[in-house]
Amino acid sequence: MKRLTYILGFLALVLLGIQLVPNELPEVQIYNTGDLIQSGLVSEDVAGLLKTSCYDCHSNETVYPWYSKVAPTSWLVAKDVREGREELNFSYWAEMDLMKQLGKLDDIAEAVENGKMPMEIYVWMHKSAKLTDAQRELIVAWAEGAMDTLVEEGEEDFEFE
Amino acid sequence: MKKLLLLPVLALVAFFFLHAKVKDNISIDVKPDVLEDQIPSHVKAVIDQKCYGCHNADSKNEKGKEKLDWDDFEASRKAKQLATMAKINEALIKGDMPPAKFLENKPEGKLSKEELETLLDWSAGKKKSPK
Repeated sequence: MKRLTYILGFLALVLLGIQLVPNELPEVQIYNTGDLIQSGLVSEDVAGLLKTSCYDCHSNETVYPWYSKVAPTSWLVAKDVREGREELNFSYWAEMDLMKQLGKLDDIAEAVENGKMPMEIYVWMHKSAKLTDAQRELIVAWAEGAMDTLVEEGEEDFEFE
Repeated sequence: MKKLLLLPVLALVAFFFLHAKVKDNISIDVKPDVLEDQIPSHVKAVIDQKCYGCHNADSKNEKGKEKLDWDDFEASRKAKQLATMAKINEALIKGDMPPAKFLENKPEGKLSKEELETLLDWSAGKKKSPK
């Protein structure tokens, strides 16, 4: 009995101790002038899906849950958001050139279609971020359609052999 | 009586013919640009020599095939091709391709400066500089 108390006490101390390890959550910015949804490329229903299923990691508009303030989960959240934004940040959409946008849209279609995104651990903690098959199809169709739209609009900027 | 019936039937037949003709006219000016976006031959030469070995439909290199399949590329629509080119460009700039591991065993697979330049130029999508 005494032994158990010691172990629990020790664990509590460790948990308290790791709270002192510095951990920086990527900064939140609500207003982003170059945001994808503001670019007019996204229909309202798709915009809603992107907001609830992607934007926490793939934009500057991250909504941090309580456990993102507590170690050790805070470390994981910080890492995922940092990496997510690095790979694709919808808040900087307008700053990407056309080719880059096309590449990202293609990646989106692929990752959403084969279920790679949103990440399992994220959906586990955010039930509302889970995508149904129909919602996946909607996003894929949007991404592919948007690629064609961008190419048509940018036609004059390209020169083909 | 029978002759009277013939009139609307004739009219109907005529209508179908007219209809068919109109449709034909429309379908002529849809999708004229199938052969527009082929890879230039000097680029294709580099691809065949330095990339195609792993990036083809029958490749034993599963990861390479999955990431990029040149046979598939040529059959893709323009937007998809441009998207792939953007990703090729990124991989080349980062120096990720050909993979360092691969070059350890096959140093002759390395891209020469000219070859790299050729691929970079092409995969950049030849965007005209803004006026």
